[in-house]
Amino acid sequence: MKAFEGIRRSGVGIETDRTIGDAAKVMEQAGVGALAVIDKGRLVGMVTDRDLVRRGLAQDLESDARIDGVMTSPVVTIEAEADLHDAFSIFRTHAIRRLAVVRDDHFVGMISVDDLLINLAAELGDLSRPVTGEVLFAHHESPVPATR
Amino acid sequence: MRASVGDRIVIHPHRLGEHERDCEVLEVHGVDGEPPYTVRWEENGHQAIFFPGPDASVQHFEHSPR
Repeated sequence: MKAFEGIRRSGVGIETDRTIGDAAKVMEQAGVGALAVIDKGRLVGMVTDRDLVRRGLAQDLESDARIDGVMTSPVVTIEAEADLHDAFSIFRTHAIRRLAVVRDDHFVGMISVDDLLINLAAELGDLSRPVTGEVLFAHHESPVPATR
Repeated sequence: MRASVGDRIVIHPHRLGEHERDCEVLEVHGVDGEPPYTVRWEENGHQAIFFPGPDASVQHFEHSPR
């Protein structure tokens, strides 16, 4: 499975010259907790709702302050065609919950730890079903073939 | 996904109780209608760049020439 196939929800971005107030309203309207920050089509940063609070509100920034002042840059990314399992090791070695998926430096979407966990839980459920059946229900042995 | 200026993109809910969100395509940045798109959210009119995922679908409208 490729990295871009792990994207479960649409990505939303804003340009670098937009304000933190704009970012908050876009997050609210789009129902997302993180935005890609885009400059001339390229991914240059990432901003989360937590960044808006910690680097914006808590630092007494006005809502018309530029978003590139509070964004995280550079961004940890994974190539869209990489193996999705590479994302696991990136999450293991970086303190992030969302991973930007890019194709030639262009943002295409995000993979979140939450979505990967939900997928894994579903896969584990599928795998455990035959084992659960064997434990809970009588196991019918095939009769030994008669030799005579 | 392919879209044209004026099309509506609907983002389907992820959680119980969540409502559909929708936006209008203002600009198409990809080739032949491919993403990303500059969109305007229906509810508050704010603009953003949209990168559709599997939760989004497009509603095409007929665009008559002026």
